[in-house]
Amino acid sequence: MTFLIQKTLLSAVPLMIVALAGVFAERSGIINLALEGIMIFGAFIGVAFVRMMQVVPVFAEAARAGAWGTLQWLEILTMLVAGLMGAVFSLLLSFASVNLRADQTIGGTALNLLAPALVLFLIRVMANQNTLQMVTGDAASWFMIKKSTLGIDKNADIGFLGETLLNKVYLATYVCILIYIILSIILYKTKFGLRLRSCGENPQAADSLGINVHRMRYTGTTISGFLAGMGGFVYSLTTANCTANGDVAGFGFLALAVMIFGNWTPLNIAGASLLFGLFRSIAAAYSSIDINGDGVFALAEIGVSPHFYRMLPYLITLIVLSFTSKNSRAPKAEGIPYDKGMR
Amino acid sequence: MKKFLALILALCMVFALAACGQAAAPAAAAPAEEAAAPAAEALVADDIEDSMTSADGKYEVAFVTDIGQLKDKSFNQSTYDGVKLYAAANGLSYKYYQPANGDQATDDDRYDAMKAAAEGGAKVVVCAGFLQDAALEKAAAEFTDVKFIFIDGWGTGLANIAGIAFKEQECGYFAGYAAVKDGYEKLGFMGGGGGTNPACCRYGYGFVQGANAAAAELGKTVDINYSWQYGSSFSASPELQTMASGWYNNGTEVIFACGGTMFTSIAAAASENDAKVIGVDVDQSYESPAVITSALKGISAATQWAIAKAYDGTWDEIGGVGTSLGAAEDATGLPVDTWSLTGYSVEEYQQQLADVVSGAIAIDDQVIEGDGITGVELSNVNLHYE
Repeated sequence: MTFLIQKTLLSAVPLMIVALAGVFAERSGIINLALEGIMIFGAFIGVAFVRMMQVVPVFAEAARAGAWGTLQWLEILTMLVAGLMGAVFSLLLSFASVNLRADQTIGGTALNLLAPALVLFLIRVMANQNTLQMVTGDAASWFMIKKSTLGIDKNADIGFLGETLLNKVYLATYVCILIYIILSIILYKTKFGLRLRSCGENPQAADSLGINVHRMRYTGTTISGFLAGMGGFVYSLTTANCTANGDVAGFGFLALAVMIFGNWTPLNIAGASLLFGLFRSIAAAYSSIDINGDGVFALAEIGVSPHFYRMLPYLITLIVLSFTSKNSRAPKAEGIPYDKGMR
Repeated sequence: MKKFLALILALCMVFALAACGQAAAPAAAAPAEEAAAPAAEALVADDIEDSMTSADGKYEVAFVTDIGQLKDKSFNQSTYDGVKLYAAANGLSYKYYQPANGDQATDDDRYDAMKAAAEGGAKVVVCAGFLQDAALEKAAAEFTDVKFIFIDGWGTGLANIAGIAFKEQECGYFAGYAAVKDGYEKLGFMGGGGGTNPACCRYGYGFVQGANAAAAELGKTVDINYSWQYGSSFSASPELQTMASGWYNNGTEVIFACGGTMFTSIAAAASENDAKVIGVDVDQSYESPAVITSALKGISAATQWAIAKAYDGTWDEIGGVGTSLGAAEDATGLPVDTWSLTGYSVEEYQQQLADVVSGAIAIDDQVIEGDGITGVELSNVNLHYE
């Protein structure tokens, strides 16, 4: 059970934070199809930054001495850097769609095509291979919080909550959840949030009340870029062993699906990501899942083909979307370049 | 606003260029250092540049990679190490060619790589991986004066192809035996190639036999999880890591990571769970502290040995036929220099090695594709296929 919850969280959190990235852009009126591209870019920047920092004496020494606190700071710092570069990357989209009033779908698609190409090129230049890895060690030995890092014996019993929340977890997961909550509150409970959302519903009305629509849309897309870039790194850190290879397994597109399925509201999105994360971990580890702890691996024993389990997450997304998309309500003005003359 | 944006974009490009610059600088410096101190010490493969520039634009010794990356810290890399070491020691030019389309490379892509190599002036082309068979026969028939070395392959009847295979069942056997002797009772095997790669199949079969032999000696029964899932492209993936993590979580103590870059995912899962892993092809204890031992095959040495035969006039000994190298040729075994096992000593291993060489220990060498191991009786092993 603990194993299933943890693996679900690891898949769900990047999805959740990137779907929120989508919400910020779309609520301000910009369709951010480039989530996938920004994630890929963020993952690359994060891994490249970790590589650079690994040879810095402070961190190299901390890893050798097992000073995990210092390494957690490195993790947070890397998330910040990946987020910032993601924000910079997303400026390309804002510029095209706000200043040039280009078609946002095409702009986003262009970024999605650009990112993997650029990233693969840079990885080849830096490492002469297709995958950028950490210089030494792996994500788990550097960044994961385990019983052994906390100085507790491997076989000690720390209770169900302890096992689930403190053993074999990444700080990044919790930071993301915290950011998710704070940003959701900002979006719905503050003046800024209201203004941002109004630009995605009726920018003309917002403008008539003195809100700078262009600035709001830039802000929304930049926050979106930050979150997607950070989410990209968190994905690569927690599920892909801190490697970047110009691919995030379609998480950016899944995040778009989750956003639509979640009807552009944070609570529903969190639920949708958890659902998808659950099925994704079932797909990869169905044979090791023991729900009630009696040593029987039910999913392996019913004899369904592994291929079926691997299809599950996508099947579920498809089914759920086909039933719920009828009721979903997109921000009214999304995708339409703001033109003062059109009232 | 526009100016600000232009500034940011310009900065972005500068950073990107700076990133390239940093990486390129040491690469450019390396040849200069080499020139300053010409081969004063023993050559180390990692110190030799992967890409060299020859004066006449021709490259005599070429390497065509298998699927997976050149720097996989395993199969491709150690084959190329052999190429580089021989070429550097003999002052020859060398180059590697990666077939197009990565993991989805077709026979045509491989043929194109070989053709590029032959037309690029290659006298010897080293091709790694049994998947190259069809392309190799086509290229060898066309470029008859080029010598092809087929690593992990077999003789095809063409006089200019030399097949070099290894008795992977032997080092798999040693690894399985050592793990059980060292006290591990729940083992795992994750193989590459989706259960169709003969080398990986032999590794897995040998591993199971070795574990069985040790368990029988100790009078206990061991469990082995046996899987070919998520390994078909020999690459690391989050799914593979989750699956390995699931095994460890349910008590598996050590997993034999049998397939190039798959190692990184499995080693990551091992360090998540403070568990252990067994490396493959080369001594992988330098990659992760979780490695207890590695099933070695002397690819680098065998590659050098085969290239030498192309140059010293003894090509006929290996050309046209398949050569299988094993413990007797010192081509399979465990790494003695980085020994970390406590329940099984180097002396015991060397005794066993001698027994395998002399034939006192018989290891079945069938290639059993995928699941369903038959042929030997596994009295002390419970196999779980996944």
